[in-house]
Amino acid sequence: MNSSPSKFKSYLLPLLVLVLLLSACGGQAGQTPTVGQTTSPSPSPSVASPSPSAAPSASPSASPSPAQVQETPQATQGAASGQWWRDAAQKAGCVDQTIRGVTESTPPSKYAADVLAKQFEQATGIKVELETTSWDQMYDKAIKDMEAKTGIYDFVYTEQDIVYGYMARNFLVDLTKMMEDNPDLKAPTFDINKFTSFIDYFKDPKTGHLYGVPMESFIKTYVYRKDLFDNPEIRAAFKKQYGRDLEPAKNFEEYRQIAEFFTKWGKDHNMQLWGTTVQAASGHPASFYELVETIFPSWGIYNWGINTKTYKATVEHGGQMNSPKAKQALKFWLDMLKYAPPESTNSTWDEVAATFAAGRAAQGWIYGENVAWIATDPSRSKVVGKVGVALPPTAPGVMQDAKSGKGYIGYYDGGAFAIPYSSKKQKCALLWLEYIGQPSVQPEWAAKTARITLTETFDDPLVKEVDQKTGGYFTLMRKYGDLFAGAPPFPFHAQVREVVAPFIYKAISGQMSPDQALDEAAKAAEEEMQRLGYGK
Amino acid sequence: MWSARTGWALLAPTLIVLAVTGLAPFFYVLYVSFFNWNVFSAQAGLSFAGLENYRRLVFDQAFLSSLWITIKFTFWAVLSEIVLGFLLAQLLTRDFPGKAFFRTIHALPLMVAPIAVGATWRLMMIPGFGPVPYYLQQWFGIEYNIGRYSGQAFWTTVLMDVWHWTPLVTLTLLAGLISLPREPFESAQVDGANALQTFRYLTLPMITPVMLTTLFIRIMDALRIVDEVWMLTGGGPGAATRYTGIHLWREVFPKTDYGYGSAMSMLLLYFTIVLSWLLFVAITSRGSRVT
Repeated sequence: MNSSPSKFKSYLLPLLVLVLLLSACGGQAGQTPTVGQTTSPSPSPSVASPSPSAAPSASPSASPSPAQVQETPQATQGAASGQWWRDAAQKAGCVDQTIRGVTESTPPSKYAADVLAKQFEQATGIKVELETTSWDQMYDKAIKDMEAKTGIYDFVYTEQDIVYGYMARNFLVDLTKMMEDNPDLKAPTFDINKFTSFIDYFKDPKTGHLYGVPMESFIKTYVYRKDLFDNPEIRAAFKKQYGRDLEPAKNFEEYRQIAEFFTKWGKDHNMQLWGTTVQAASGHPASFYELVETIFPSWGIYNWGINTKTYKATVEHGGQMNSPKAKQALKFWLDMLKYAPPESTNSTWDEVAATFAAGRAAQGWIYGENVAWIATDPSRSKVVGKVGVALPPTAPGVMQDAKSGKGYIGYYDGGAFAIPYSSKKQKCALLWLEYIGQPSVQPEWAAKTARITLTETFDDPLVKEVDQKTGGYFTLMRKYGDLFAGAPPFPFHAQVREVVAPFIYKAISGQMSPDQALDEAAKAAEEEMQRLGYGK
Repeated sequence: MWSARTGWALLAPTLIVLAVTGLAPFFYVLYVSFFNWNVFSAQAGLSFAGLENYRRLVFDQAFLSSLWITIKFTFWAVLSEIVLGFLLAQLLTRDFPGKAFFRTIHALPLMVAPIAVGATWRLMMIPGFGPVPYYLQQWFGIEYNIGRYSGQAFWTTVLMDVWHWTPLVTLTLLAGLISLPREPFESAQVDGANALQTFRYLTLPMITPVMLTTLFIRIMDALRIVDEVWMLTGGGPGAATRYTGIHLWREVFPKTDYGYGSAMSMLLLYFTIVLSWLLFVAITSRGSRVT
């Protein structure tokens, strides 16, 4: 017979455990609330449209105060129960199976490989082997596997720019149909209506069916050194030289002046500081991409300068690739090399981010996937807490084009995981894709790697905290995401890139004049499209 | 009869492996080279093109330019390696303090994978990060940037290849030199031949077969260089270091132009075979004259 105190202890212990568990859940819920507390997802979600009166610069002050955070509607926890995942894996015959994928070695992919894959394995018993490799190798491996139907990979990374090529070749599984055909495998917490409008890039324009689940999306935007821009001494010197306040550049002349100013400032003060980054690797497609996806649109040259109706690139045939405006854009970009660190002609997207993180540039165009670590990770970045973001500078009329939907001001990039037809474990891969598309896994993934694919993730407190540290990157992405666009839906994306890029490399290294490079590039692009059977 | 059968039976596994891994891909590439086949073309699959891919090659400025710079690269890299390798091999035939240490250190590059060589050189050569551009600028005022200046990029790839492969030439020639018979050299010494005469009339003719063989190996390797250059320059700036291996890779993989890429492969194979044959004839004729 137990005495009263010991009886009390026997109740106390489980009670204590319960309290601890509840408080832990409460803390969790503060960040990601439970199912049923959903925000009202719009039927056709999209990142919010820009307000014409809104200021283009997203300063940290634009980020919400703690009080605002409290008021913000809470996002969905959105995690299907562990039992559901186990049951689904069992029904699909996937328990103890291994699925293999290949992806580009980006911060979001590494997070998926290191964190999500393990969580998924615990939930389902399905092991995920995710190969993270260089961008070239990733495409090389994925395309060869799908073309030869070897079935090595059960899911592949596909960027929005090449997905149309994959669709045209019937490489990918129709996920909409697959979920309809297998209702048992449709996770209750996976809802394509919760994604930002970026998911539309992975839908077949004809049927609206989904072919990839977005796992990263970001904008390539204007990033600047807030500490330098706010420095009174620098501001005074700049105003004295240019007769205006030092603010993030809104047009190309302002950009040039800032670049010129900081390059001279760095030299005069014996600092390793230059005026701008330039992603101008002279033997790597990164330079091609910076030109056609970042510089061209901000000058009003859209879709790489290719006429999307006729598939022609030269001005003579209705294209824009060698138009006077395009040539002016290329000249401006090449001119920026004068104000860029010497490594710029060897810099791809990674090196540009490293250059900015090393504090060697005052401003530049940086892929959003790198903004979070540049702004928050002191082990990799010297400019933590010193980063500001703003809309990129544009030529007259471009902002209006973007607001009216005729054009765009920069690059909205990202990728999805898709299932190749050749996969022998399609059902297991589908579960993985749904798992990474759940609301519950998004906030930390976003906070660590600056990618957002679900609208409600923007409202998560963790994301808002990072937003402040990044100078308002997420705010900018949410507010102005619609002004940016992904790559045009070309089925010949890589083919045209491969013929155009060498001319850009030659322009960078001075082997060709900018005019000659674009004239030849446009001609070569047109010939290639014709050879491939487009635009005859 | 029995022994012949046994011989073929013993050779069979090797022949089968060779047929599967060597001949089958060769005939497949040959077959594909007569077709238009691009994964992302409007018309899926292969469509017969006859000799069109080969005709295109002859007028393809990018390919011809790539072939020309590969030949230039091969010439300068291999010439430097042979000269330097021979001098070092001569040096290593003599005794000097620290000879064993030098020989070990000197052979180290051979143990490094080409891709690692390219990566290491890239880290040393990239402006802003690498020590080489920094010190060239600090000490000599030279602006060194392999991402911008074609000449610098080209010569850096030559230098990298020389650094990587000279030890192979040295070791091969050293083996040749130390295996030369001593008698002719002793006779020459007795006859009063000076060092230059000994080298001109004895060493050089006797070492030539080894040298030609080494040359043969190095030319074949240099013609198909990819890894190191890929890591160092990616073929740039412009097309300054876009050697045929890199050019071919870009055609076949990122561009997925399998038909044209196959034709390019066949032409390069033909070119390599012709060159190899010429060298082979040179070696064997030399060998028969010596014997």
